[in-house]
Amino acid sequence: MAKIKLDIFRFDEATDTIPHRDEVTVDLPETTTVLDALEYAKAEVDGSISFRRSCRSAICGSCSMSIGGVTSLACKTSCGSAMEEDGSVKIDPMPNFQPMKDLVVHMDPFWDKYARLKPYLQPNDADSAHATERRVSPDDMKKLVDVANCIMCATCYSLCPVVSVDPAFAGPAAIAYAYRFIEDVRDGKRTDRLAQISEDYLWLCAHCYACSYCPKHVDPNDRIIDVKRATIKDRVMMNERGPRHALVVAKTIKQTGMLAETEVIQGTVGRFNIRGLLKVAPLGARMALKGKLPPPFLKPVPKVDEIRTIFDALEAPVR
Amino acid sequence: MSSTLLPEERALDAHVRTNSSKSKRYGFFPGCVAKESCKELFNSTMLLADKLGIELVELTAASCCGASVLNDTNRDVARVLNARTYAQAEALGLDDVITICSTCTGHMRAANKELRESEERMAHANAILGKFGANYKGSVTVRHLLWLLIDDIGLDALRSMVVRPLNGLKVAPFYGCHIIRPESVNGWESARHPHSLEDVIVALGGEAVDYAGKTRCCGFHVQLEKDGIASSMVGQNMRMAKDNGAEAVITPCPLCHLALDGYQADAAARWGRTDLPIFHLPQLVAYALGVPAEKLGLNKHLIDPREVMVSRDLIN
Repeated sequence: MAKIKLDIFRFDEATDTIPHRDEVTVDLPETTTVLDALEYAKAEVDGSISFRRSCRSAICGSCSMSIGGVTSLACKTSCGSAMEEDGSVKIDPMPNFQPMKDLVVHMDPFWDKYARLKPYLQPNDADSAHATERRVSPDDMKKLVDVANCIMCATCYSLCPVVSVDPAFAGPAAIAYAYRFIEDVRDGKRTDRLAQISEDYLWLCAHCYACSYCPKHVDPNDRIIDVKRATIKDRVMMNERGPRHALVVAKTIKQTGMLAETEVIQGTVGRFNIRGLLKVAPLGARMALKGKLPPPFLKPVPKVDEIRTIFDALEAPVR
Repeated sequence: MSSTLLPEERALDAHVRTNSSKSKRYGFFPGCVAKESCKELFNSTMLLADKLGIELVELTAASCCGASVLNDTNRDVARVLNARTYAQAEALGLDDVITICSTCTGHMRAANKELRESEERMAHANAILGKFGANYKGSVTVRHLLWLLIDDIGLDALRSMVVRPLNGLKVAPFYGCHIIRPESVNGWESARHPHSLEDVIVALGGEAVDYAGKTRCCGFHVQLEKDGIASSMVGQNMRMAKDNGAEAVITPCPLCHLALDGYQADAAARWGRTDLPIFHLPQLVAYALGVPAEKLGLNKHLIDPREVMVSRDLIN
């Protein structure tokens, strides 16, 4: 047994203007889950501590909270693994959400973004046109199984740095779930779905892999890349900066072996997009003053033919 | 530092370390940005290598690692491009490849993992490399210079090599995403609670500043996608560093350097002025090990680090 100090964020939107913290000491083994420790504290010490929970086995997705500074499922995280040197475990509501009471947050923005992607199958034809159920081959189903494991706990959403500065971004879970329908052979709205998710800033994903902390190994980071590739394959909303960026990067690497910074900036923003280029110009000017501008043209690396051979062999969609 | 390498890499890395301690010769993959807009990073890395007594042999015919963007168009190209780079390293007898960019580290390691975990993918890559007579056997390990400093040089040895300690300069570490995440690809230290940069800062005589932004994203990869997005992410992180007492920031990633150094001015309107100078990892290590400050390209930074160095009596 060990003395575990639960350092808990306390706040009630009905009565408080600013939050405070309570420290509750519980005598439990370090292997105790944070959820069990919270349940114990609520039962034995302070019945007013509020948090969401249901299944206690990482299936319901209710108990996401920030534990030791990283969002995790309280039922899947041991106190020992998140303990500070002084024996305390810091517990906060999920970041990127408005706190409601203690560790309970307003989940509405997360559900709103989920609802926008119409998370149900929309086949092109009526059920009556089919003599049997709509069948999916094991190979087609395999692609969807991992994403179907999503328990919508919002761990990824709360860790997403883009959501934290730009609430318009759909967030990792919604994009991963969009993939689940985009790649479902029974669905008839693939193009609409790709356009919708592009509009909801698919390409604003910052490639940071914070969503690789997914407790169910859905790995939204990889699914986001899959959806981006699907938009390029189907040529949906290709004039957005995201796809232009992806294509010009591939193009410069094929030409020179290197990512040519100058050409990538021009190609992404648009060579004739004067207003857009003027917006990046101040930083360019500051860099030029320091002699830090990337070269306008790059000399290809030695044996660049080999690099082009690789691109050609794999038929990368380079214009 | 408890190393948490993937099990299949442990034996290989032990082998590499034993060999490298004899020869101290490494394959060196500088990446695109260190050859383009952050030449000061390339130069200070070479100067640091001299001080450390190691030889960095540049893989001059290597291609871009894919920079996390190439995957958006085609899943296979980046893997095979990196296989070509590894084949070059193997042919030169340089199985231990060192990077100086977090993004290169993450994406080259991801490609290597994909190749080494699947005979099918390795055969697919080698079928293409075979068109120009190259072949990758799978013996390369990709590591960041930061890991080399701690695993091969060692923090005690590094401390003993310091001739100009940082006089308690308060330095905030900024890791950059791809040197720690995903953990399944990197796994050298905890992605949630890394401390290698802190360990290096302290070994150099500085004080490490803790703040929640140290493992967050700089926004570099989406700076062009939507106006103001990268400056918001930079401002948010630098605000936290400044509020926790930082006088400067150190990063192992030139992409983070470009974003943090470049966008603090734009972020000031929303986040207040922070003006934190951003050091490339090898710049600050090389300085402490005695490389003259004027050789480190500090004048190339948009936020000049020399002012804070003067205030700490590090330079005149």
